[in-house]
Amino acid sequence: MENEKTVPEKSASFSGKEEEITGVVIDAAAGVSESPKVVVDPKTDSPKVESKPNETESDKIKEEKTEDNVDETEENREIIKDQVEETPPPEIQYTLETASEEIDEFIAGLSAKKEKNHDENVVTLEIPDFVWKFLDLFEEKIAEHDHEGKVKWGQVPENDKSFSEALDRVSKLTQSLDEFKTDNPDQNHCVVINRIGGIHHRAMSYLGDEFRSMLEESKSTTNNQYHLDPKADVKGKQEAVPADQCPLPESESTEEPVDVFPGYTPEVISNLNKIAEDMISGGYEFECGESYMTARRYAFDESLNHLGFEKVSIDDVQKMHWEALEREISTWIKTFRQCATVYFPGERKLGEAVFSDHPHISASLFSNLTRGVMIQFLNFAEALAITKRSAEKLFKFLDMYEALRDSLPVLGELFPEECANELKTETTTAKSRLGETAISIFVDLENSIKSDTGKNTVPGGAVHPLTRYTMNYLKYVCEYKDTLEQVFKDHYKIERHDSTSRPRNYEGGEEQNYSGGGGNEDDGQSSFTTQLVRVMDLLDSNLESKSKLYRDISLSSIFMMNNGRYILQKIKGSSEIHDAMGNTWCRKKSSDLRNYHKNYQRETWSRLLGCLVLEGLMSNGKVMKPVLKERFKSFNAMFDEIHKTQTSWVVSDDQLQSELRVSISAVVTPAYRSFVGRFSQYLDPGRQTEKYIKYQPEDIETYIDELFDGKRKP
Amino acid sequence: MPATTEYQGSFLGRISIRRNQVMNMDGNHDQELEDIELFQRHISDRFADLLSSSQQQQPSSSEEASTPAAAVDPFLSINWLRKLLDVFLCCEAEFKALLIMGRDPSQISKPPLDRLIPEMLDRAVKALDICNAVTNGIETVRHCQNLAEIAVTALEQKPFGDGQVNRAKKALSSLMMEMTGEDKEGGSYARTWSFGRRGSAAAASTKDRGHLHLRSHTWSVSNNWSAAKQIQAMTANLQAPRGNDASGLASPVFIMSTVVVFLTWTMVAAIPCQERNGLATHFPVPKQLVWAQSMIALHEKIGEEWKKKEKKGSVGLLDEMQRLEKSAHSLIEFADNFQFPAEEERVEEVAAQVAEVADTCRKMAEGLVPLQLQIREVFHRIVRSRTEILDVLESTGKVSAPIV
Repeated sequence: MENEKTVPEKSASFSGKEEEITGVVIDAAAGVSESPKVVVDPKTDSPKVESKPNETESDKIKEEKTEDNVDETEENREIIKDQVEETPPPEIQYTLETASEEIDEFIAGLSAKKEKNHDENVVTLEIPDFVWKFLDLFEEKIAEHDHEGKVKWGQVPENDKSFSEALDRVSKLTQSLDEFKTDNPDQNHCVVINRIGGIHHRAMSYLGDEFRSMLEESKSTTNNQYHLDPKADVKGKQEAVPADQCPLPESESTEEPVDVFPGYTPEVISNLNKIAEDMISGGYEFECGESYMTARRYAFDESLNHLGFEKVSIDDVQKMHWEALEREISTWIKTFRQCATVYFPGERKLGEAVFSDHPHISASLFSNLTRGVMIQFLNFAEALAITKRSAEKLFKFLDMYEALRDSLPVLGELFPEECANELKTETTTAKSRLGETAISIFVDLENSIKSDTGKNTVPGGAVHPLTRYTMNYLKYVCEYKDTLEQVFKDHYKIERHDSTSRPRNYEGGEEQNYSGGGGNEDDGQSSFTTQLVRVMDLLDSNLESKSKLYRDISLSSIFMMNNGRYILQKIKGSSEIHDAMGNTWCRKKSSDLRNYHKNYQRETWSRLLGCLVLEGLMSNGKVMKPVLKERFKSFNAMFDEIHKTQTSWVVSDDQLQSELRVSISAVVTPAYRSFVGRFSQYLDPGRQTEKYIKYQPEDIETYIDELFDGKRKP
Repeated sequence: MPATTEYQGSFLGRISIRRNQVMNMDGNHDQELEDIELFQRHISDRFADLLSSSQQQQPSSSEEASTPAAAVDPFLSINWLRKLLDVFLCCEAEFKALLIMGRDPSQISKPPLDRLIPEMLDRAVKALDICNAVTNGIETVRHCQNLAEIAVTALEQKPFGDGQVNRAKKALSSLMMEMTGEDKEGGSYARTWSFGRRGSAAAASTKDRGHLHLRSHTWSVSNNWSAAKQIQAMTANLQAPRGNDASGLASPVFIMSTVVVFLTWTMVAAIPCQERNGLATHFPVPKQLVWAQSMIALHEKIGEEWKKKEKKGSVGLLDEMQRLEKSAHSLIEFADNFQFPAEEERVEEVAAQVAEVADTCRKMAEGLVPLQLQIREVFHRIVRSRTEILDVLESTGKVSAPIV
């Protein structure tokens, strides 16, 4: 056998060590005498007998040689070094397992020795041969693992286990040997420590690489989650890794789809955890943390990208068109909510699982990772809050406000205290900015109503665009009523608070309304409701002045009716506005409308009905035919005129239109019918009758039904 | 800082009292001139302090003689930057008081302020992005700090051998990558560290989103955003007021804009920041302006440093980073030639260097979070002031120039 040749040399070195250990016994206190035995004894009658016959053989040879070379006290370290570097160690003699047992005992022996020797100054220590062998074997194993990533962590659990154990032994060995540091360092001791250090670093580097790639690999899983195509995933995997080449892929044994962020299987997490433990206990906490941080930051960024979230600078936000911004905001809201409810908690859970025994590490990694994301989200909110205000932005701002508001309680739970406080403050600040801006926008509505002072009338007395706009706007606004109540409650005060430097025109009458809310007519009226009522009143008075622009008083009334009706309908259609405005207000509005109706009736139809009164028609019990003719004539002319004008007027609300027609008809038709019925006999039948009784009562009804159609006859 | 706060408080008090007294009288022009003069003097004093604190240290002795200079914060160190940020906050508060406190809004909506103020507000917006970019950059600094800590941990072991030296070397090489590779790829920090041999695969997988180069260790402001360009834009329309304007409110507006530009420019030069290629070193402030003397001197000093370092793809002028870079260089050199066991002499040398790195790391550990928070404070202050100024302008109902 080839290695038989090497054995003597090996044993030579071994014997030398034995000698020095004996030296220890001599140098040290008498009580220590057993300790070398602890090391040596198990070696001689080591349990390796059962493993391989040739090992026991070589052991025997060793023992013989040991005796032969006892007097070779001066063992050259160079030889040891050379042996390590030049002659391959006899692998057959030791496996990692058997060497490990030796190492364990060696370490135990060392610590026992240390116990007894802790106040001794000079302790020399010989490194037994199996230590070198163990290191060789372990280094080989690392090389095997590390070669172009051939052996992936997690593929063969037993393999990983023995790797971890060997690594643990290396760490312990380092520790134990470190404790035997001496003032006059024995170079052999140094060499072994250096060797161990090198191997330790190599193992750690391998683990670091595995840790990182394992973290990064999961990205595909995460992506699949968004593509929602688990089939493609499975197929892809099968193609990539033929079954025979992949003995036991742990990740595939669990078939359930990974649909929870961040998308690592329990196996992967448990492997990550093992590696992290190994790295941290090996003193590579920083490396582990940095790898984790970088990989997760990247993965997190990817996740955000998958949701379509893009970073926009504050400068760009100020320049973007609202349509584009709206899209960004929608994505922002979606992404932010997703982060607060899924990603952040998932990220935290991952950290806690990976660094299960080191909560401070997972906490600080989590904070560092997510703090930046949060600040970025908040920057976008800040950027929007300082854009030029405009009414249409209100709703999106409120959506964002709600998202921030909802995230606040979550943040407290998610982040470690210090970070949570900072982020809560930041979030609250951003929320306040949005809130304040929302209030300003809403208050701007007042100004825009006030400033709508155009002199052009709406043809036909139809609903004014301002009414439409305001009411539709308010309808949407009131869909956010609860939020707005809150916004006004939380931020209106702030606005007022530093009002010294910001004179605002809406400041005026707010005082009494704001103080307490209980002093108002409606109990508990919020400042939002107050603002809402104020807007409605402003709209009313604006409409009133617009109505005055019509020269025709009837048309003014129609205009007011149309607009009032529109407003009431909108209020009825939205329980939120209705609740906010209250029944009293609505009743008042309805009665206003009835008054306009009456005004209209009076203005338009009373004059016409004047043609049909009996007064002045009879003289001494006799009908005065010329007067009658005159009456018919003017009725016809007037009705023609009214019909002509008022068919072009507009009442777009069907109900109002029919109400008006019915009420007109109810007054005019019967009066006309009875007038005609009574006086038609006084006209000569034929041409005269035809001339003066232009309309039959049924015609009148028909024509009335044509009113307010908005048909402008040219 | 307490001293300056007091200082500032009394200033605000005086302005508001005086305004209240004289507001109704017409001839408050003299008062205003006095206020402006006071403001200029404060600017001048504060920057003179900064300048003198950065001159106390002999440039040549900065490397080794760190013990006697311990009391003074080195030029462009984290603490020095924090001082600068303090100065900014003070100036800003005074400026706002001067510009809007108790003032009739119509006064600041007249020419030339109707143009100058919107320009200034636009600069403010750009400054916000720079604050964020710099905050992101601090993450890179922190990453460097962590890498340096690895080297310290490794080399503090006694005796250190191949394993420790390799460990330190790996960390320091990553550190050097961070420091030199940054600007070329638009902030792709930590490539070697994070993506090692798998880098190419990771890069390929994101090509669909079209921002291959943005796989940064830190977050970016937005795609294609460039600190250098923003600074350029902030400086472009910065002009000292001339003629009659020079004595009016146009002067403090110009001063404040200059301070903003100086602050942001300095931060960009000091701290790793998205896209600094072609960062201008021109400072458009006439040399004869008394209040600007110290600022100009500081600007020149930083500008020279920048020109020296720019070509090498520097990670920034931050003193701590420069120190790390220097130490990393020589430690890597040591590691390259390392053979176990190390010579006694070399071990001592390395120990001294490691101690210095450890000291720098400690300073970073202490200073980075407060610095980050302070930049955030500046961010919020700028936002708030911008809003307040806009509110005042709005109350006049005529913001003639577009704000955006």
